[in-house]
Amino acid sequence: MAQRPATERLRRLLIILPWLMEQGEVPVEDAARRFSIGVDDLIRDLELVSMCGLPPYVDEMVDVFIDEGMIFVGVPRLFTRPLRLSEVEAFELLAAGRAAMQLPGADPDGALARGLRKVAVGLGEDDTGLLVVNPTPPVVQDLTDAVENGRRVEVHYQSSTSAEPALRQIEPFVVFSSQGNWYVHAHDVGSGGLRTFRIDRIESLSVVGNAENEPPSSMPEPGIWFADADIERVTLRVGPRGKWVYERYPVDEVSVADAEGWVTVRLAVTSQQWLARLLLRLGDSVEVVEPSTMKSVRVEAAAQVLRRYADG
Amino acid sequence: MADRVERLTNLLALLLETRRPLTLHEIASELGGQYPDAGQARRAAFERDKASLREIGIDISSETFGGDRAGEMGYWIDRSGFELPHLDLTDDEVRALQLALAATRPDSAIGEEALWKLGGVGGGVGGPIRMHLPELPALPVLRSAVATRHPVSFTYAGATRHVDPWGILLRDGFWYVIGFDHDRSDRRTFRVDRCESEISIDASVEFERPDGASLEGALPANPLLLGDEVEGAQTALIHIASRRAWLVEREVGADRVQDRRQDGSIIISIPFTNEEALRSWVLGFLDDAELLEPREVRERLINWLESVS
Repeated sequence: MAQRPATERLRRLLIILPWLMEQGEVPVEDAARRFSIGVDDLIRDLELVSMCGLPPYVDEMVDVFIDEGMIFVGVPRLFTRPLRLSEVEAFELLAAGRAAMQLPGADPDGALARGLRKVAVGLGEDDTGLLVVNPTPPVVQDLTDAVENGRRVEVHYQSSTSAEPALRQIEPFVVFSSQGNWYVHAHDVGSGGLRTFRIDRIESLSVVGNAENEPPSSMPEPGIWFADADIERVTLRVGPRGKWVYERYPVDEVSVADAEGWVTVRLAVTSQQWLARLLLRLGDSVEVVEPSTMKSVRVEAAAQVLRRYADG
Repeated sequence: MADRVERLTNLLALLLETRRPLTLHEIASELGGQYPDAGQARRAAFERDKASLREIGIDISSETFGGDRAGEMGYWIDRSGFELPHLDLTDDEVRALQLALAATRPDSAIGEEALWKLGGVGGGVGGPIRMHLPELPALPVLRSAVATRHPVSFTYAGATRHVDPWGILLRDGFWYVIGFDHDRSDRRTFRVDRCESEISIDASVEFERPDGASLEGALPANPLLLGDEVEGAQTALIHIASRRAWLVEREVGADRVQDRRQDGSIIISIPFTNEEALRSWVLGFLDDAELLEPREVRERLINWLESVS
């Protein structure tokens, strides 16, 4: 097996040692599992640091020995506290915590709020430097309740392809927010398959019974759920004013910008109507490259909207 | 050759324990043969170790001696900047942080290490409700500049901007940094994903954040007001077809509905400053929305459509 880099080994040791010192004695297996490290790697690295020492400055700085599958720690001297949080870790914790505080059901006096406050104070921050604002439509709470209680619900849903909202029955598995929108991933009773629905398109909701389908073994990862291989793709040339398209929507690929700032973008198109809206909003900042069947979409959509303005 | 982890551990211990700055010569002799003897090779090995420790998050302090050792550098590690302060987290608080990470950043190795340091474990299972947090390399640097009150500079829209960052904010899927822009002498909001360079921090200056500087107030809730100053907003009248009326009413609020027609369609009245955003929003409804006023904006929208048809 390839040797792990020295920095990674030392970093891991500096996390493990303070914990071991607190435990006093612990089975090697437990320590290895807790810190996702191989038993042999752990033993070797612990034996190595226990041999470190620099008399007269530091005589035997880490008093650790391993016997019969147990780790024993003597008198703690050095490395009794973990390293402070790195910049990246600090951000990760605070952002995750502040985001979770925005989710329905978060208690402003609960354990998360208290823990976050202590972390923030430890990092020398007040509560105002990092904010997450994520408004939650009321339907989110209803859907979350349905997940927790294993219910089937009937929703009045406006799909992006149909003219009017239609009734459908779904069994929700997970509710998530991504790029400012809320989604529910559910078993769609009508089609018998898994579907992801936009929550802001649910007009109304009622519980109709108990769910009959087991949740899938894996949930879509927020952020990449849209990368569904079955959805049709379109390739566009997008000008600098249309940057928001590839910032806002999940795309398969974006080319390097040319001298004028134009890029080639390949992205998933859920429906022709969705593409029509996108092309109209972009105006002359976009060209359809392929498929050729989509090249007329913008002209037709523009004509359709212009008819309305001519009547008005 | 001895294992590099051993040399790094010894170097770390030595520089933590020393009561006075040590020269490289002293360090090498304390570490008895772990560094090469030749001056240049020794210096290179030491610099590599310094960089490795910095990568782990350990900064080696240094100062230049005066007097009879003038020009020589001395090194040490400041213990207070090395150790995690006692946060006194209870078990349920650590568990709550673990669940927060599971709900927003599943499988984050960085988050897992942070939890280990706090005495917890990673790998929590997200509950029925989750939120995806967009990730950007500039964010950790910006957060620490906000916390330490150090000004930053970065390239934005082709120009270098010097900003006192008052805070960072995630809204509608985008991260923003809000602060005082020295080049514009005013408060400005920047999209973090549009910063075109790395963020550099000026640690020599500490700025004051004005009292009552609110991040939430820095971004208007209505996207049609984004991108420009809020002063001087105009009002748009838009006719929305009945089949989209409920959707729009929910988005803009019932108090924006100015008229309800017999056929179920509505006329809404909304303020805007950003004509491009307004046009984009209206066109998103295709022929289910018609911009009635202002007349000149309506004319320009018609021209826009004619130019692509």
